Amino acid sequence: MTTIDPERGIHLCGVTKSFGDNTVLRGVTADLPAGRIYGLLGANGVGKTTLMSLICGHSFRSGGTILIDGQDPTENAAVLENLCFVHEDQRYNDNFTIAHILAIMPAFYPHWSEQTAQRLIRAFRLPMKTKSKKLSRGQRSALAITLSLASRAAYTFLDEPYLGLDATSRTLFYEELLREYAAHPRTFILSTHLIDEAAELMEVVLILDDGVVAVHTDVDEARRSSFIVRGRAPEVRSLIGDREVLAERSMGAVVSATVRGHVTDDDRYAAHRDHLSLEDASLQEYVAAIGIHSLTHDSHAPAKDVA
Amino acid sequence: MTYTKRNVRLYLANRSFVLLIPVFILALMLLISIAIAAIIGIPQGLPLRPEISDGTRGNMGPIFSVPGFLVSVGAFAMNRNFSMALAFGSTRRHFWAGTSIGFVLTSLVVGLVSLLCLWLELLTNHWFIGAHAFDVYVLGDGNAAQTFATMAVLSLLCLFLGAFFGTVFRAFGGTWTTVAALAFGALILGSVALGVAHGSTVLSWFASMGLWLPILVVTVLAAVAASGSYVVNRFATV
Repeated sequence: MTTIDPERGIHLCGVTKSFGDNTVLRGVTADLPAGRIYGLLGANGVGKTTLMSLICGHSFRSGGTILIDGQDPTENAAVLENLCFVHEDQRYNDNFTIAHILAIMPAFYPHWSEQTAQRLIRAFRLPMKTKSKKLSRGQRSALAITLSLASRAAYTFLDEPYLGLDATSRTLFYEELLREYAAHPRTFILSTHLIDEAAELMEVVLILDDGVVAVHTDVDEARRSSFIVRGRAPEVRSLIGDREVLAERSMGAVVSATVRGHVTDDDRYAAHRDHLSLEDASLQEYVAAIGIHSLTHDSHAPAKDVA
Repeated sequence: MTYTKRNVRLYLANRSFVLLIPVFILALMLLISIAIAAIIGIPQGLPLRPEISDGTRGNMGPIFSVPGFLVSVGAFAMNRNFSMALAFGSTRRHFWAGTSIGFVLTSLVVGLVSLLCLWLELLTNHWFIGAHAFDVYVLGDGNAAQTFATMAVLSLLCLFLGAFFGTVFRAFGGTWTTVAALAFGALILGSVALGVAHGSTVLSWFASMGLWLPILVVTVLAAVAASGSYVVNRFATV
């Protein structure tokens, strides 16, 4: 079983990544102590997969520092063997069946759980003798989840793990992730666009925006970090005051604004008085609003076409 | 070694693909060679008359049968297994080392099976009908060491060539793969030109080596392809 050392974790300092003239990450800095479930969130092309690839040494950073348990992971076998990162578009050898892939996993992961693997294979009804190139999108996701959870790697990266999975399979994934995490505490870094659905899993969220970490906080704080106010434009603007508007939509005289900040008692009073609708933004709405804000204010907008 | 062994296991995950199919290809080549000899024998009887049987010593089947498949094995191994190895926490150098050991194993199997077939061929007086499949000029005319070395080294070259071009394709795309192929061709032609330019001394030394000369050349090319695949692999990304 993997044990959690408080001194362990991932340290990122000024991590940058460029593809030619296109700079995706402009200086990512964050400390991620081990033994938590992190949600890595942000709009398409903001660099979530790129960041995970850099941490795992699947691609090379342009600048900055990455340390895992105090060591640079680049071509560092002792560090990398604790990592599992099955990409969302993971390529397998076309001639391998699921049985072939499962057979080699214990060689890579000393804590590999055959029991977990078999349970998930049965639950997802994965065909053991089907070649990897024949797997459907959902089956590929189910396989990635199976490999990731059964690996029991100290640092497990899940990149959009449930593309193509139906609601039942996603629920199964959430249950299995929590079961594994409770029984064998370790670090999960989860990137997803189904944010509200996965929010219950996350302990800490990192929201990437414009190539940097825009928000790094615990999930409850993130949920309280913005609110949505709707109503007639003058009253809405009056309630918002000088607070930052992340996103705004208008339909005739009615405005809906997502605002960064906490709802105060004064806000509630004003909303009641002026017949405004006032509610906390969901985490998904918060992340979406940050993305929209970035698109409408970001001078680097053309850089958004890289995953 | 543990890190490398993991990648040997990855290479060998589908044993039938990397070990058995090359053997089946050799067996198929053998069957075709015997069938052709049998067809030749239809008008004049079997076993073939010695002068006709000697004519089948020019059979090039052994060296033309497996290369195509082994190039694809090498390309698949470096191209597709690479992303798997990295996903499962391997370093690039351990992946390359483990896969290279796998290539050596495949090459040894091809060499040993060829040797076994040569032995059977001689034992059965060329499959009872005077058919030559492994006791052929290109494998040393029944020389066991040259048969083994030729087939093993040729296999190694094909695997590493596939690995090299597979890695270049993955890392840099089709254009650079073409550039690399042209560069590899230029290297071969340049080496030949160098030999010719240095005249009779070099050529006579090479000539004295007999069949060991092409084996040496293929070994050098395999080493070049292996080195190239290592260098490109160190910079490859998923």
